[in-house]
Amino acid sequence: MDRRNGFKWAAARSPAVSSIASIGSFFSLPFFRSRRMVLVLAIGDLHIPHRAPDLPAKFKSMLVPGKIQHILCTGNLCIKEVHDYLKSLSPDLHITRGEYDEDVRYPENKTLSIGQFKLGLCHGHQIVPWGDLDSLAMLQRQLDIDILVTGHTHQFKAYKHEGGVIINPGSATGAYSSITYDANPSFVLMDIDGLRVVVYVYELIDGEVKVDKIDFKKTATTQSAH
Amino acid sequence: MNSSPVDASASDASSMPQKRFSNLRSVRWRIDLGVLPSSPPASIDDIRRVTADTRRRYANLRRRLLIDHHSPKYGKASPDLTVDNPLSQNPDSTWGRFFSYAELGKMIDQDLSRLYPEHSGYFHTPICQALLRRILLLWCLQHPEYGYRQGMHELLAPLVYVLHFDLDHLTQVQKLYEDFFSDEFDKISFPEGDFLSSHRIRRVKNWESGIEIENNLHKITNDHSRDELDPDTREMLLLSDSYGAEGELGVILSERFMEHDAYFMFENLMFGDQGVVSMASFFSPVAGSNSNLPPVIEASSALYYLLSIVDSSLHSHLVELEVEPQYFALRWLRVLFGREFCLDDLLVIWDELFYSSNSRYLDNDVEFNFEVLCSPRGAFIAALAVSMLLYVRSLLLATETATTCLQRLLSFPQNPDMKKLIEQAKSLQVLALESNILSSSCQTYSNKNQLTICRGYSLPSASALPKTSLNVIADRYWEEQWRVLHKDEELRKQSNGHLSSSGIMKKILTKRLSFSRTNSEPFEGNNAHALSSVRRRLFDDSSEVIEAAKDHVKSECNESPVISNNLNVGKGFPEELADQRTSNCMVEETFLSGHNALVVSTPTSPHDIGNDHENESEKSSITSNSFLGDNDEETISMEESCSQNKQDEESTNMEEPCCQNLDKQLAQDAEATSSGDVDSIPEQIAAPKDQKPFAGKFQWLWRFGRGSKEENQESKRSQNAGHIQKDGFDISQCDGTYASCGINKRIEVGDKKVMDTIRNLGQSMLEHIQVIETVFQQDKSKFDPLDNLSNNILGGKGQGTAIAALKELRKISSLLREM
Repeated sequence: MDRRNGFKWAAARSPAVSSIASIGSFFSLPFFRSRRMVLVLAIGDLHIPHRAPDLPAKFKSMLVPGKIQHILCTGNLCIKEVHDYLKSLSPDLHITRGEYDEDVRYPENKTLSIGQFKLGLCHGHQIVPWGDLDSLAMLQRQLDIDILVTGHTHQFKAYKHEGGVIINPGSATGAYSSITYDANPSFVLMDIDGLRVVVYVYELIDGEVKVDKIDFKKTATTQSAH
Repeated sequence: MNSSPVDASASDASSMPQKRFSNLRSVRWRIDLGVLPSSPPASIDDIRRVTADTRRRYANLRRRLLIDHHSPKYGKASPDLTVDNPLSQNPDSTWGRFFSYAELGKMIDQDLSRLYPEHSGYFHTPICQALLRRILLLWCLQHPEYGYRQGMHELLAPLVYVLHFDLDHLTQVQKLYEDFFSDEFDKISFPEGDFLSSHRIRRVKNWESGIEIENNLHKITNDHSRDELDPDTREMLLLSDSYGAEGELGVILSERFMEHDAYFMFENLMFGDQGVVSMASFFSPVAGSNSNLPPVIEASSALYYLLSIVDSSLHSHLVELEVEPQYFALRWLRVLFGREFCLDDLLVIWDELFYSSNSRYLDNDVEFNFEVLCSPRGAFIAALAVSMLLYVRSLLLATETATTCLQRLLSFPQNPDMKKLIEQAKSLQVLALESNILSSSCQTYSNKNQLTICRGYSLPSASALPKTSLNVIADRYWEEQWRVLHKDEELRKQSNGHLSSSGIMKKILTKRLSFSRTNSEPFEGNNAHALSSVRRRLFDDSSEVIEAAKDHVKSECNESPVISNNLNVGKGFPEELADQRTSNCMVEETFLSGHNALVVSTPTSPHDIGNDHENESEKSSITSNSFLGDNDEETISMEESCSQNKQDEESTNMEEPCCQNLDKQLAQDAEATSSGDVDSIPEQIAAPKDQKPFAGKFQWLWRFGRGSKEENQESKRSQNAGHIQKDGFDISQCDGTYASCGINKRIEVGDKKVMDTIRNLGQSMLEHIQVIETVFQQDKSKFDPLDNLSNNILGGKGQGTAIAALKELRKISSLLREM
């Protein structure tokens, strides 16, 4: 039996979170167990310096070293300075290659395990049609992963699909793409804790950072809240 | 049964008066720390109830503070995601708090992983680490104003260890008395999860609350034998009876609630249970309540202050090397000596420390010197630190640079004589407590300030005085030397040195002299070997001497209450005589201070209005600095005569009146002992009251001396000589402190100041040489019957003293070169 069929996902976009709140186990004493709370930053399509000068200042002030354990970068950084900057946020940096990346050593795909999850990373320009859910799901099956992070469309997307999650963090600089002109800068932060992922979406809309939260859980019942 | 693992505490308990729960150190500590009720004798049920209460409080606290940010409930509580997200900059957001907690936890972990590597078998087990971590974290969260500071974990660890230890002990006892502790309750055992260590489950049969079924079941085996248990075991049974008050929550020693208990012990240790000494304040840089110094610095200066009283030579040596007390005391105080002693020794020390109450023993209106010395516990801390310093005294004196000195201080000997240390600390504790009551209204920490302010206080007309500057390099060390050398000759003279203004009574009383002397002789013999701590006795006795002095003056002033006063004299004086054997200069000082104290303490001794009046007039004579008053003049001369028997003719001449004074007093003494007047009893009762102010004064004098010494180091010798005549009062004080020491330079009241100073220097050099000679002689003939005492003092460190003497000689020669 496929491992992924062993548990189901429930995805809820806040404020619907509270409706399924009771399911999670109540860890009243977090320091009792040696729980490793893991924060994973998913970011991509910065296009610095070609399409944007730098990350928005508000994002930069939020992204401080010490909080984030892993960074998944979908690609299109495009220069080494951005790579160095991301490295300064967290030393565990995973990057796949976008079509504009200078560094040709970045792989096309990458998979890694964090906690009990298998994560896959791909820029997404290879997958046509761009941003198509079915095509992405195909890749997800191919890589045998729980969470797929892709980019290229410069638009934030998060799907729950076939017991897995497909996330597109959008463009962190809000750079234009071949399919969008006015993208909002956005990135995603995943809080992986045991069998549960909370996805925080940071979006800069009209100069204000808007935060959204999506709760993915393994549940016995199939729920679609997206 | 006491041959359990608690041998340290058992042996400890045997040495001191039997305390409650003597073989359960953790219970004792909890009582001493104020976690459990102490009001004697709190019933077992009370104790159990309080225990249960504290545990409940801890559980609530833990639930409230250590909540999971991931729990969905929490998400509900703060839905504002702009504030509450992992990247939030707001420190008050749950995520912000989470990260700060994580930071804190990391810091704590870092320290905990290095906690007691030699006991890693216990402290480094994951369970114990987690327990310590939770307690510390919780405490820090509860008291964010203090936060976590390195060292707190070392305060907590012994507490946990003690709890664990007693659990072990309990298990042992249970093994011995299996019948009573057996888990069979209707033949059914109750399994119970073990929490912290691999103790077996304990259940105590309930034979107190009278459950009939059980009693019937075991009537034959238990009923007759339980009364035969010794009280300790009985108590232990009751304490761990899980069916007593509050049920299992009330079981005093319980693995399950070890964390709860440890937390409250820690909490009470940190805050001292509303007492004076609060460990938490030692960690905070915030200035204390009555000084602008952080409490730990203040405590360190208290330590030096006490040291200066006890051992001025060591103190001056450390000051000379510019070894600030906080350099080493910070470490000593913050972890309550945890770094200096191994865990077992530390427990013994903490036994004493916690046993000393932490409540303020002074009224609020009483002036005191150091906040930390206001409670017996604080005094004990300072006293222990001082006794540690004294323990390595010779090593410290041998150091020549601050670095080596600190090295010595920071690597305290591995296996010190704990008994000796604690004994000494206990005796110093009393001294510290008494010395802290300062009549001085000032609270100063730098010696120089102290000097001026003290002067300002004692001499209202101080502004009119010229600057006091005295040349003293005297050490207590040399005082000892001197004492040894001149013990016998000085003895008599010393006792003579009593201030007196009138020679009228002299003739009447002279004839009694011989009688009184013989009277006091036996005391001498007794005291010489009866008392273990010389310094403490010194102090006590000298305050009595002050008493005597005071009464004496009184009796001079108005002759009518002579008899009543005499009783005090009779008590104090013989002991004083005995004391002179051990220290001449101290007693000498005492006289002085007695004299001075009289001025200040007048209001506190309202025996006689007439007296007050007389004292008042005396005060004025002193403050106006007119040394026409016989008292002062004679004081000076007496000083000289007593401290340096190789003095000039001038001073030896002055000895005569002193002798007469002594005669007088001795006669009074004799009178008192023979008459045994009943009326004088109230006087006697009043005496102890007076003692304290005197004591304060006494200390003050010493401090004064210390202060002036500092001054002296800066100023030139010749200058000193110039001022001396004008400022006889101060001279006499300083003389009192240092005159009798070998190195002291004598100051002549004359014009050829420099010449005299040089001469004195030479003299002191001679004395040094003598000292060295004697040391070597004594090394050869150790048990010279005449010099028994001196041998005791010098025996061990003959070499050291010789070296030190040589060093002093070198110092003097360099001084001479400068001049």
